[in-house]
Amino acid sequence: MTAEQRINQMESLSDSEIMEKVKDGQVEKLAILFEKHHVKVFNFFLRLTGSHNLSEDLVQNVFVRILKYRSTYEARGKFVVWMFRIARNVHVDYLRKNKNHFDLDDQFEEPEGQDDSPVYAFEQKQDKELIQEALSRLPLKKREALILNRFQDMKYKEIAALFGCKEGTIKANIHRAVKQLGKIYFELQGGVQS
Amino acid sequence: MTCKNIKEKFVEYLTNELSKKEREEIQEHVAECEECRRELEFLTEVWTELGVLKEERPSPQLRTRFYTMLEQYKQAESEKEGRDKGSLFSRLKNLWPKKPVFQFALTLGMLVLGLVIGNVWTVIPQQKAITTALVDEVRSMRQTLAMSLIDRESASERLQGINMSHTMVDPDDKLLDKLLSTLNTDPSVSVRLAAVDALYLFHNHPKVKQGLIDSLSQQSSPMVQASLIDLMVSIRERKAVDALKSLLDSEDINPEIKDRAEQGIQKLSF
Repeated sequence: MTAEQRINQMESLSDSEIMEKVKDGQVEKLAILFEKHHVKVFNFFLRLTGSHNLSEDLVQNVFVRILKYRSTYEARGKFVVWMFRIARNVHVDYLRKNKNHFDLDDQFEEPEGQDDSPVYAFEQKQDKELIQEALSRLPLKKREALILNRFQDMKYKEIAALFGCKEGTIKANIHRAVKQLGKIYFELQGGVQS
Repeated sequence: MTCKNIKEKFVEYLTNELSKKEREEIQEHVAECEECRRELEFLTEVWTELGVLKEERPSPQLRTRFYTMLEQYKQAESEKEGRDKGSLFSRLKNLWPKKPVFQFALTLGMLVLGLVIGNVWTVIPQQKAITTALVDEVRSMRQTLAMSLIDRESASERLQGINMSHTMVDPDDKLLDKLLSTLNTDPSVSVRLAAVDALYLFHNHPKVKQGLIDSLSQQSSPMVQASLIDLMVSIRERKAVDALKSLLDSEDINPEIKDRAEQGIQKLSF
């Protein structure tokens, strides 16, 4: 297939239609879905785990599973919802397998370079670490729902489909998650709540 | 409306999903009710604070790993169809070079590697010079092997060759030329994308930098164009602005690429 044909497909087909083709054996089309979504899935894992290396491994696992279980895909649902269902499973399986795991590499991970002034960059880094730490202390389900809504632009309806519950439950969950996150965050800051 | 009803809508207030009327209702309520106002202020603050977690980009290796996995999967599938017995052994066999000369090179490489490891293990000072020579030899052998893999017919072997070049600390001009020509002429988009990622590692080399800029005008696949633009932005290569501008002038430019190129120019001119 030429590159031009790939472009046409990328423009005119929905994710679901592309995934149907992958399911029918045109596995190379998964590349289009990878290009479109891998940064999103990576950032989902990054918020969940706080680790770059681990998040990359998990993204790779998600796409391996998409290939492996492609025959179970049903076009009725949205592709993104199905993909994040796999992503959640991949993460949970990782947690199960590595209950006492401590990733040494990540302890030495360098933060991203900043163009801003050193003081500003330092403050930003501190805020980032603090909020990431606070996030990691939220219960998993609340954390997932909050991340999907805040960072992945997922609608309540989609998150509800993903979790298999009602929209209202998701909204209430996110509300509680933000509140709880705020409490943890201000506690970590030294208890100064504005 | 009761406080309970109002609070139920706070999350949608944060995500901006309420109608104008509903927003006004909330604003009117919190102007009167201190408890609700405090809660909404608190939630808004946390919500805003979450914004420090910016979207980040994975390392280029992720893409290479994905395309290697995809190629291997395709190959395994087509083999299964052919023989209906895609055993682990046949997969391993695939990794083994087919031409005797490469088989010999690989075996020799392994042998030398074994010797080097043995040497490093015992660390006898007099042998250090020999070890360095051997390391050089292994390096040049790996480079030769990588280059010969890049010339293969099968895309997954070419990807393997490119992956090998990732691990090289100081590749010579020949390998860099090979990677650049692969980037411009390889028929497979996956291989060209992997070449972008490999060349990213050597972008400080002036030849590579120029080669990457020149390549922008030669690419027809939007995926490759996109990854080249991202690369230019991430290495802050201002010289690429002209190449991006001429890309914008081309008639058949993909709209997504157009946006990305425009953003790229903005970021680089800043």
